[in-house]
Amino acid sequence: MALMPKRVKHRKSQRGRIKGNATRGNKVVFGEFGLQSLQGGWIRAQTIEAGRIAANQYVRGEGRLYIRIFPDKPISSKPLETRMGKGKGEPEYWVAVVRPGTVLYELAGVTEAQAKVCFARLAAKMPIKVRMVRRRPV
Amino acid sequence: MIETLEVVKREAQGSWNVGKLRATGYVPAILYGHGEENICLSIRKEAVAALIKHGSKLVSLTGSIKDTALLREVQWDTFGSNVIHLDLARVSQSETVEVTLPVQLHGEIAAAGGGQLRFATHEITIRCPAASIPDHLTVEIAGLQLGASIHVSEVKLPAGATPVTLGSVVVVQVVAPAGSSDDAAAVAVEPELIRKEKADAAAKA
Repeated sequence: MALMPKRVKHRKSQRGRIKGNATRGNKVVFGEFGLQSLQGGWIRAQTIEAGRIAANQYVRGEGRLYIRIFPDKPISSKPLETRMGKGKGEPEYWVAVVRPGTVLYELAGVTEAQAKVCFARLAAKMPIKVRMVRRRPV
Repeated sequence: MIETLEVVKREAQGSWNVGKLRATGYVPAILYGHGEENICLSIRKEAVAALIKHGSKLVSLTGSIKDTALLREVQWDTFGSNVIHLDLARVSQSETVEVTLPVQLHGEIAAAGGGQLRFATHEITIRCPAASIPDHLTVEIAGLQLGASIHVSEVKLPAGATPVTLGSVVVVQVVAPAGSSDDAAAVAVEPELIRKEKADAAAKA
């Protein structure tokens, strides 16, 4: 099942704008390798889940996958063949707002070659440009 | 290990000037500490890359300034590709300093247990004499059985060093492999509204 918050303050949110680069969540923290976004965008909960499944099928039993983003923004839409007006549509799905530089996933306990293959499978699911990064030296 | 770094005294200050400096292949840096005045420096990009690659913390400055310094902080750009600034703190070889060092694992865990290695702490902060700062801390994991763990207090430190990170913090442990988590779990279709009860109470009143 796709990720979504347990409790929210408001059911619907405004669209907003993605400005600037990521200043937090842009480092590999838990694992040895990470998948970093090179573009900003919205990543749907279903996409995050698809990426998790694709990666877990590869690293199963060997490595550990960390998901660093969470879909906390509700996106609403109007039903088909509905006239304009009559208020904002109902929430349809959830997205994670991603800025350029955000680390989306991390991998631990795998070799660099394995991480490369795993992230290539994962990157194919992503709607934005991504690249593999290593942990920054201390 | 002490490394030599050639530095040039920098007059240009401010983000615009520093940006121009970076475009010419230099990295801005600052030298401070010991109650002396702060000195702005610039260092060749290649020299900084080599210093970070080698993992040295203690540097011997040559060129415009002749001093010994500790690499206190490295600032990276958003994507972690380029170093944008260095903080250097004046230090004498006999002084005791606090440094954060990377942990390197050595050996292979016991395969008989079928466990999975969980590397929990990648960096440990220690206090040690500046002259004996190692590039990294090595943790021996050879023969580690399923369920076993190594704590910060068990890590072999250089002579005269004491850990600043809590001794009870787990560095590495061998855990049972996680089972398949591809199954769809039943969860609520819509999240609970935090203000719902409040709104209902107001409506009743």
